[in-house]
Amino acid sequence: MDMFLVSKGEKRTIRWVIYGLGLLFLFPIVSAIYNSLKYEGFENYIFVFTHKINGISVLSTFWNSLQIAVGHAFFVLLVGSLAGYAFSKIEFAGKEIVYIGVLMCLAIPLVVMIVPFFYIFQNLGLYNHLLAVVCSEVAMTLPFAVLFFRNFYDSLPKELMESATIDGANVFQAFSKVYLPLARSALINLGVLCVMWSFQDFLAPLMFLTDKDLATTNVAINNLKGAFGLSPGNVGKFNAFLVVLGIPALVLFLVAQKFITQGITSGALKD
Amino acid sequence: MKAKHYSWNATAAGYLFIAPLLAVMVVFFAYGFYFLVRTGFQSTDISFHTPKYIGWDNYRLLLVDSRFFHSILNTIVFAVVSVIIGLTFGFVASIFLQFKLPGKKLFHSILFLPTIMPMALIATVIAMMLESRFGTLNTFLRFIGLDFLALQWLSDPNLAYGSIMVMSIFLIGLPIMYYVSEFPTLNTSVLEAAVLDGAGLGRMLTLILFPMLRNTHKTVILSILLGSFREFERIFLLTGGGPMNSTEIVSTYVFRQQNGGMEMGIMSAASVIVLLVAFILALLQIRFTTMKK
Repeated sequence: MDMFLVSKGEKRTIRWVIYGLGLLFLFPIVSAIYNSLKYEGFENYIFVFTHKINGISVLSTFWNSLQIAVGHAFFVLLVGSLAGYAFSKIEFAGKEIVYIGVLMCLAIPLVVMIVPFFYIFQNLGLYNHLLAVVCSEVAMTLPFAVLFFRNFYDSLPKELMESATIDGANVFQAFSKVYLPLARSALINLGVLCVMWSFQDFLAPLMFLTDKDLATTNVAINNLKGAFGLSPGNVGKFNAFLVVLGIPALVLFLVAQKFITQGITSGALKD
Repeated sequence: MKAKHYSWNATAAGYLFIAPLLAVMVVFFAYGFYFLVRTGFQSTDISFHTPKYIGWDNYRLLLVDSRFFHSILNTIVFAVVSVIIGLTFGFVASIFLQFKLPGKKLFHSILFLPTIMPMALIATVIAMMLESRFGTLNTFLRFIGLDFLALQWLSDPNLAYGSIMVMSIFLIGLPIMYYVSEFPTLNTSVLEAAVLDGAGLGRMLTLILFPMLRNTHKTVILSILLGSFREFERIFLLTGGGPMNSTEIVSTYVFRQQNGGMEMGIMSAASVIVLLVAFILALLQIRFTTMKK
């Protein structure tokens, strides 16, 4: 269905604009794939899996990125859903002040927290441990998660709480038996967003993981230039690495595009 | 407002539920802020062994540092250009995607793809493309005979920032998402009436739909402001802030102070200023989300 009636000529304009934009968007991807086959053809891809970039193996970056993403999602969902529920359904002293205090941290860029976080991780003995990246991502995402979950629980009727109380449930049981099961879709949406943000995170793994065995895909991308330079002879291998390092995010895109859209448009916004 | 009565039990339960959150906030943010504010009044190197209290000197130095001033200006320009691209390209594309076209779903996904991919990856791919001697763009331009257009996209100080900002076109996936999610709530009879009155596509876009989506524009603007304010790797990987600091934004300035600079006091003072801006943005966001309810 068309949104509204347009003339044939206008329809043609619409088609050209969308197809033109699509081609523009495909250009970098096609260019990377085309260049990845230069000089040695498919051999470049075999090279990617049998050699390391600056001592970093591609497969281990996949595994590291996945562990960080899952840890990030797990702790954000756990801590965020508990707190969001309390802010929405429990009347406690100082609630709104604490809530606003948490939300004030919504827009902080990670780059200014790098040095303080670095000291915290050194003192906790987490520096150069995947948990350091998990912790910094969790800290940066939590203000948003709290906003997200409070909005979600606010949208559930208060009568649920009343009927649960009449049935003899306390606030803890009301949470675990009534509200949490209803939050399934919210949990999935935010969980997928957490994985996406983890896959996009560049600074935290770059700064907190110097051990090459712990490098993530984005750290490997940063190392590419150093490993190959931008000389023509290496263009094939360089691009083959780029294409392969894009696979985790691409898989996420193919599997979970729907949840990402739902999560982002569900009322709260991040960036 | 009347004072509320809180029961002890509810307050205890409330704090029990938010205890893990509070732990994270105190350890990372409260301590982090304290650390930056304190260091902002000190002169110290990265080892933090012999910090010296110097009062407001770091802030005074920052105020006269043209590089810092320039980076703030660049960040603002960056944000404004990104917002304009979102409100034009994003807006138009989101509406055009509401028409029946062969392969529409596929193109919708393609426009959304760069939004999900890591910026580090996109920036590196684009850097390869824009490389002046053998990058795909210039090779292509020379191939079709437009040699004079094959410019030094990232190494010419006059061009580099423009190249970086134009890249925002690849990030219209987010605005599109916000607009598209709003369309089901639009009053279709208004659109039908406008079409009956003879409004063409151009008028529908500018005079009817653009004003109708006023609230969505606000969401788009706020989300792009937040994103621009947090932008880092696009600049870091494409130009590193160069050539001749022409593409420096606040985040790359702070990063350079951390890694190259000896003086952590100035870095911290700059970070405190960034934090203050972040609080203002957060307030805007809080007001906006509570207003919507």
